[in-house]
Amino acid sequence: MSSRPDAETGPESDPDAETGDEARFAGRGLNRVEDRRILTGEAEYVHDEAPDDALHMALVRSMHAHADIESIDTEAAENHPGCHLVLTAEDVKADYNPMPTGLHGFEEWSLADGKARYVGEPVAAVVADDRYVAEDVVDLVSVEYETREAVVDPREARENEVVVHEDVGTNVGDHEELSFGDPEEAFEEADNVIESSYSWGRISGVPLETAGVVADYDRDADAFDIDCNIQLHTLVDDTVYETLGYDPDDVNLEVPPDVGGSFGTKIALHRYCSLAAMASKAVDRPVAFVEDRIENLQGGDMHSTQREYDVKLAVDDDGTFRGLDFWFVDDFGAWPRYPVNQVLKPLSVLTNAYDVQDARYEYDLVLTNKTCQTAYRGFGVPAHLYALEMVVDEAAAELEMDPDELRRRNLVESDQMPYELPSKNVYDSGDFPAALAHVQEKIEDERDGGLLDPETVAEKREEGKYRGARPTVHIEPGVSGSDWTNRQRSDRDELDERDREDVAELPEHLRAEIREDGTVRAYLATDSSGQGHQTLVTQLLADELGVLPSDVDVSYLDSVEAPTEYGTAASRMAVMLSGAAQGLGETLAANLETLAAEVWDCDEADVTYRDGGVHRVDADGSLSLAELADADDDGDLTRASYDYEHPATRLEEFDEALARKFPVYPTAAFAANAPIVEVDANTGEVEILKLYSLRDCGTQLNPTIVEGQAHGGLAQGVGAALQEEFGYDDSGQPQAITLFDYRLPSIENVPEMELDHTETPSPFTATGAKGTGEGGMIDGPASIACSINAALEPLGVKADRIPFTPNRVRERIREREGE
Amino acid sequence: MSADDTSGVIEYPTEEISLSINGEEVSAEVEPRHKLSDFLRDARGLRGVRVGCEHGVCGACTVLMDGRAVKSCLTYAVQADGTEIETVEGLADDGALHPIQESFHEEHALQCGFCTSGFVMATKELLDENPDPDDDDIETGLADNVCRCTGYQNIYDAVHRAADRLETGETDADETHAGEDDA
Ligand code: FES
Ligand code: FES
Repeated sequence: MSSRPDAETGPESDPDAETGDEARFAGRGLNRVEDRRILTGEAEYVHDEAPDDALHMALVRSMHAHADIESIDTEAAENHPGCHLVLTAEDVKADYNPMPTGLHGFEEWSLADGKARYVGEPVAAVVADDRYVAEDVVDLVSVEYETREAVVDPREARENEVVVHEDVGTNVGDHEELSFGDPEEAFEEADNVIESSYSWGRISGVPLETAGVVADYDRDADAFDIDCNIQLHTLVDDTVYETLGYDPDDVNLEVPPDVGGSFGTKIALHRYCSLAAMASKAVDRPVAFVEDRIENLQGGDMHSTQREYDVKLAVDDDGTFRGLDFWFVDDFGAWPRYPVNQVLKPLSVLTNAYDVQDARYEYDLVLTNKTCQTAYRGFGVPAHLYALEMVVDEAAAELEMDPDELRRRNLVESDQMPYELPSKNVYDSGDFPAALAHVQEKIEDERDGGLLDPETVAEKREEGKYRGARPTVHIEPGVSGSDWTNRQRSDRDELDERDREDVAELPEHLRAEIREDGTVRAYLATDSSGQGHQTLVTQLLADELGVLPSDVDVSYLDSVEAPTEYGTAASRMAVMLSGAAQGLGETLAANLETLAAEVWDCDEADVTYRDGGVHRVDADGSLSLAELADADDDGDLTRASYDYEHPATRLEEFDEALARKFPVYPTAAFAANAPIVEVDANTGEVEILKLYSLRDCGTQLNPTIVEGQAHGGLAQGVGAALQEEFGYDDSGQPQAITLFDYRLPSIENVPEMELDHTETPSPFTATGAKGTGEGGMIDGPASIACSINAALEPLGVKADRIPFTPNRVRERIREREGE
Repeated sequence: MSADDTSGVIEYPTEEISLSINGEEVSAEVEPRHKLSDFLRDARGLRGVRVGCEHGVCGACTVLMDGRAVKSCLTYAVQADGTEIETVEGLADDGALHPIQESFHEEHALQCGFCTSGFVMATKELLDENPDPDDDDIETGLADNVCRCTGYQNIYDAVHRAADRLETGETDADETHAGEDDA
């Protein structure tokens, strides 16, 4: 890596330069309140939580992808002096329930029951004095298997020659064909139909912290306390209490303030929570479990989707897009993991930034002998945008048009905003052509003596190094509604009859209290894993209440205290928390005015809340927050909570999408990217020399955090595009079970990024913010693949598989050479 | 299912080690199979030592052993006998963040923070050896650590800033405006 911007040009943190409004903290790049405890080693991750008297759990996992479990002999294990417990499916079935699954008709137990369906599937759980001993004990459990043939290829799985679940009878867990507008006519009438196939590999978030849980059963209360780094703990707590067969109030899930990354992948940790809880009840001691990295990569329920696409684009000779047609297979793995399926979200950005009104969308959700699929940053959208941009590149080649011109011609114009997609979601605001023009200019500059100078490019080509860049624009759909997410479990015929009133969305809850010293304590009802939610709420509440951020601290509610929440997912929190903070601030201020009027025995109209206290309008006098807290005998008025409704619930623009259970994402953050890549035709290696990006997430509440999210997302996009993948061999053996094989991008792989930001506030949200958590992972892979296409144009090679690893690049080049 | 309480019956062999941890002399009995990372975390309560992979790739467990960065998950506690170990807990001076810590904070070079102590310790080794690293030096110096959240750009900036601070001798406590933006 050559030169980088110096430290001074890092994230802008000069407050006044941002807003010109000295009084407000929102909009400033405030440093995070979370940092100090992390930097000093005082952070509290779940791996640190086991109490001294805790025992430790380890799991016996299947080494076969598909095998009948003939017998399990636990005697030697139980005789080990350090062993306290061995659990098998038999024990679980005697006392507990199956785990909820993502589709009806599947009965999955916390431990494999009779048959193992993927390598790494837990077959038995042992509890011992410590993890070292527990692993000794694991080795003593002997399981006899009768192996079967495995089904690995998702296209092949549709043939049902090997069936993963005999009782279900088919590997196609779900199938749907959706038609919007009149795609048939569009494809018939268009001058050209471009058609191609693309693959998207199994890639996932792989947070640096693995899963962990400490469960403690309270015999007197017949209830559980479970500390776990599960994501969305107030939403998916049903996966734990239903499995245990307990009342929601008796299963208290708590997430520590610090979580070492999730990116969607930790939504499905319920098996670990339940097993540790069952074990704790059996041994009457706290039971801790920390997943190790091999378990995590092999069978940790955290792989994301694998997709096989056949895509068609109907396009006229002049380059006008007429229709789009997506057919794909989504590989769910061995079980339809609850509550996740990622096939629908792409409908919210069906045509990306292009103006197309006729489209078809068809998918098969298939089961294979692989680790179960869970969510990952972007939730199915990255693969969709990749497939779409690939076919656009293909069209440019076939029509012999400049790809930039082809894209530009079809972009939604800013005067078309808000723009309704054929699939009924609505883009709130944005200027896509301007964003594209911005990065095009950067690329033009590079042609003038820079990285893409024609002379340099030609020289490099002599050495077999091919450079290229191709600007693209991408939408990052933000702020999921929740109702559509159970489309798979709904009667589809009934959806046509549904009314808007049948739709219930989940708000975001925030509460706060004024403490006696006049400081404010707020409580988040959701968990965070590095996004800085505490900082965000601190700065927003400080603004609303006219106090300093140092007067506000923020902690978390557990699953019993908090209402059922959607929480941290789908780039939701900037929008939802800022809306909630605004509403909460107003509610508290009004309460405090009432309180002050009581103290002064005057009319409420004669007092006003401002600058951290209530002031008399008609006379001298003011009450500080500390004085108000002191005056509030029963604490009613110095405490408040607020639920910020999901923005789509108030907007008729979304009525049809909501009623029909099409995915609703009311904010359209967007990015235009132009990675400059260099492909070494000799080694197949792709290096990203520089990455230009123009990003817009509406109002930026904390530009430092916004920039950080973009860097991180783009780095994951780089990994996805070029090097990460959970491969499997034909027998279902996973090929990436260490970090030597699952290649996370290191500092050597991530390019220099030059990001610019514009702010197009959302008209649909309280603060104008749009989501920004998933950005770079959504748009990175597609844009990198397009730049690879540009670079390899002279060789006639396309980046038709993600990740486009060196051996795949070489394979494609060899194929062309052999032609 | 069996729930017999049999704990304490088994005896594993142990060895005695003596070492210095963040300047404190420590003696302990450890099992030869215990990793240094587990020893520091469990027996010494130094939870700033994080384990992300336990097979030597991620660098979250990086500590300094006699001044050199080592992966404590690939080191057995018995191998640390007679050495000086430094962990992230030893850096802050009387509550004032070490310049490296302060720079990571100011440059937003951490998100979830799980990699952070490893990066901070690797940076310390780098800057101890090379007080004025350029980007290539930083790339080489930190290539053994993985961060899944930040995309590294801010980490470069943090290392440069830390180098500047160390050069000028500026610390957290010296900087009158330090923490102004801290909420
Ligand atoms: S935990 Fe030691 S290198 Fe990953
Ligand atoms: S901050 Fe999360 S892994 Fe580095």
